[in-house]
Amino acid sequence: MSRIGVFVCHCGENISRTVDVERVAKAAGEIPGVAFSCDYKYMCSDPGQSLLKKAVAEHKLDGVLVAACSPRMHEKTFRKATESAGLNPYLCEMANIREHCSWVHEDREKATEKATDIVKLMVERVRKGKSLAPITVPVTKRALVIGGGIAGIQAALDIADAGHRVVLVERDPSIGGHMAQLSETFPTLDCSQCIMTPKMVDVANHPNITLYTYAEIEKVDGYIGNFQVTVKHKARSVDQSKCTGCGVCMTKCPKKKIPNEFDQGHGMRPAIYVPFPQAVPNTPVIDRENCTMFQSGKCGVCAKVCGPGAVDYEQQDSFTVEDVGAIVVATGFKLYTIDRKPDDSPIQGYGEFGYGTIPDVIDGLTFERLASASGPTGGKILRPSDGKEPKQVVFIQCVGSRAREKGISYCSKVCCMYTAKHTMLYHHKVHDGQAYVFFMDARTPGKGYDEFWRRAVEEEEAVYIRGMVSRMYQKGDKIVVMGSDIQVGVQVEIEADLVVLATAVQAQDGADLLAQKLGISYDKYNFYSEAHAKLKPVECATAGIYLAGACQGPKDIPDTVSQASAAAAKVMTLFAKDQLERDPVVAKVNEKYCVGCFACKKVCAYGAIEEKEIRDRQGNLVKKVAYVNPGVCGGCGTCQATCPSKSIELDGYTDEQIMAMIESL
Amino acid sequence: MNARANKNHLTSIEPAYYEAVTEAIRKEAVKILKEETVVGVVGYLPGRRKGTATPALVTSVEEAEKLIFSPACVNNLSVYLTKAKKGVLKQGKVGIVAKGCDMRALAGLMTESQLQREDLFIIGVVCPGVYGFGVERTGTLTEANIARKCRECTVHMPEGADVAAGTHAELADLTPEEAEEMARIEAMPQAERWAFWKEHFSRCIRCMACRQVCPFCYCEQCLCDKNRPQAVESSPRPAGNMAWHLVRAMHLAGRCGGCAECERVCPMDIPLNLLNRRMAKELKELYDFEAGLAPVEKGPLNQYKEDDDQSFIK
Repeated sequence: MSRIGVFVCHCGENISRTVDVERVAKAAGEIPGVAFSCDYKYMCSDPGQSLLKKAVAEHKLDGVLVAACSPRMHEKTFRKATESAGLNPYLCEMANIREHCSWVHEDREKATEKATDIVKLMVERVRKGKSLAPITVPVTKRALVIGGGIAGIQAALDIADAGHRVVLVERDPSIGGHMAQLSETFPTLDCSQCIMTPKMVDVANHPNITLYTYAEIEKVDGYIGNFQVTVKHKARSVDQSKCTGCGVCMTKCPKKKIPNEFDQGHGMRPAIYVPFPQAVPNTPVIDRENCTMFQSGKCGVCAKVCGPGAVDYEQQDSFTVEDVGAIVVATGFKLYTIDRKPDDSPIQGYGEFGYGTIPDVIDGLTFERLASASGPTGGKILRPSDGKEPKQVVFIQCVGSRAREKGISYCSKVCCMYTAKHTMLYHHKVHDGQAYVFFMDARTPGKGYDEFWRRAVEEEEAVYIRGMVSRMYQKGDKIVVMGSDIQVGVQVEIEADLVVLATAVQAQDGADLLAQKLGISYDKYNFYSEAHAKLKPVECATAGIYLAGACQGPKDIPDTVSQASAAAAKVMTLFAKDQLERDPVVAKVNEKYCVGCFACKKVCAYGAIEEKEIRDRQGNLVKKVAYVNPGVCGGCGTCQATCPSKSIELDGYTDEQIMAMIESL
Repeated sequence: MNARANKNHLTSIEPAYYEAVTEAIRKEAVKILKEETVVGVVGYLPGRRKGTATPALVTSVEEAEKLIFSPACVNNLSVYLTKAKKGVLKQGKVGIVAKGCDMRALAGLMTESQLQREDLFIIGVVCPGVYGFGVERTGTLTEANIARKCRECTVHMPEGADVAAGTHAELADLTPEEAEEMARIEAMPQAERWAFWKEHFSRCIRCMACRQVCPFCYCEQCLCDKNRPQAVESSPRPAGNMAWHLVRAMHLAGRCGGCAECERVCPMDIPLNLLNRRMAKELKELYDFEAGLAPVEKGPLNQYKEDDDQSFIK
């Protein structure tokens, strides 16, 4: 006969408000094999845990059941207490009578009955439970950072500075991300490039950082401490080991009129190019779709002029497999566009703003490029259509953001501040110009932020109009902006030379596909989900994967950098130990009965199942059976459900336990 | 389709056709045994009574010369290769005579790592059909004595065999009795359908012949024989019977090749192949998958695809 102890928690009033905990404890005490039962106000508190430990010793308990909250909340706590009382921690289970009972029911009588049932069946699980020993797996002290924007750069530098090796993978030809595109940054108006490019150079020169640009994540295998990541190196058509970065190829390339993505399509670049002069690495790539050599087979000028012979038209995509112990995802954001969206898209465009067909209606990043000294206009604010200096500029905030009817309900967080910054930059460069801002609210929480916004309004003469724009259209060389001023209660019509839209911050294209490769979750906007909104803001629910920056949700630079450093700190914590202890809830094969159909191997999402040969003493092959690598097994139980003869079982969730639980009801 | 145009549509298949197939099988079996390509051939020998045949493993040239093929060769021979049965594969490469439905089982067993193609020499038989049960077993195969499953056979030509014995031949324009019966049952209101199966299963005596004869029931310990914990009641009582037959049907979903041996051997005449076919239909509709047409890496029920049908989640 077993000697199980049942401890029923009140959880303050969380449970006891709806469930008669005393009655549950009393009923538990009457279950055969339960040697002790009691109830207590806060089982997780120090006296609660002492009560548990004392009871184990006094009543010689051989199993512990805590009826309280979700095991996700406190399983670790109570298993630790059980262990310090001298029992195997896996002989302690939790009956969830809070989330599964008291929180979702009102009828006290019925809730008490249900709680008693939950306790009853969990007692059976404890009774049939086995002592398990934790599994230790080695940790590869090398991190992967996906994305080379400010978030990825910061995380990579922090981890590398701590003495660990880092692989930084960037999709574009250069690192730098969106921050490298900005002209000045709020709230100090310091030059973005001036604070960004030194960090980019640090990455390139850091002995602990391996930088892969123009590369993407192809496949992710493995688990915390032991990931194998396949990186696809897209064909650059330029041999990085030979290229000196002299730039002759770019000046000689006959095809020079290709809109430059880095300048939001407003500057021009050749077919062989670096996105911007300060690019890291300073190795060009050939844009094969626009290169005459690739399209018609005739040209080859860049190869002819290249001194070191670095241009290689035959280069193919190549793959490397990187062994890493932790992954930081820092893939950033993209900007919403107002153009017409496909009919099935949940996000809609802006017909009232002409669906992006008016040339002098631009987005915030384009304005950054126009204001930037390294931009297509050399820092002069000139409008795209005719290159004239705009004298009246209308800025519109919340385009796409906070517009549920357009498909996005969230606030993009950075637009209030950068629009204020834009009005200042404009005012500094066009002294006789006038900036108007249509806004819903000015959201300026942050150090020095509100002061910055007030400065735009009070000192820099920006006219803020509270209200939204209902329509705009081209009239001659002007854009007529029709909106409402809801504070005064009048309709406003402004003939603008340039309109700048603060469009919503969205998740990067393909963010969902990357999440599926990584096995992390994402919300309906494709922003990656953190493990806990408040207490685990940088961890993913998948162990060993951390988040940094705007891939998790809209963020400004200070927040992004903080989160990147936090993610780096988490990686360092993981790398502080040589061995990682893992939960021993893993599958085991009954080799006697396994017939080796390997259905389990086919369904295993973790790649944990291998084929094992059973041989007799003479060395003859008797049969092949499945074998579970306990270091890799994620304990999901899919194999157990699939095995036709039930010859594979998950420790802690054996068929015997589950059946006993069902039968107890 | 050219294959269809080439087919001979006959009202009966004469014994001469089977004699020709028998000759071809014998010739091939003798050859591979003489050349020691195989250690034995699984095929059919004449039964003791007239109009019957019995499965056999022949290991000598003399025996091989006695192999036959006739409408009485009903058994699915693939079952003699699986682990739980004979273990003939232990000694070396084995030849096997395979009708279309046997081929589907072989392909399925290869999918499930139970057989390796290189361990087999497959003598495919272009089979026009076999006798049904409880019928007149004269030499000629006609609409009157052909098995129900053969009326709707889609695998007269065995694909993927090493050699094929016979030429195209099949009976013309047979009414698809099984499909009609399936349609009739599916048209029943749910309660009536439940009653239909309940009645059939209540007669089950749990002799487990359906399990013994099934090429896919190769587990060394059947889930239904497990007693710690016991998942399915083992004595022949209605609840346990129902559980057994549902487990059987579910475990065969996406695997069963439709040889209908379970139905043939059932002493209580439970129409088990209707269940098999219903599951196969489900697989065809949901995943456009037919089991056993060729060995595959993963069946649809053993893999996850992003575009999998999820309409069943409600």
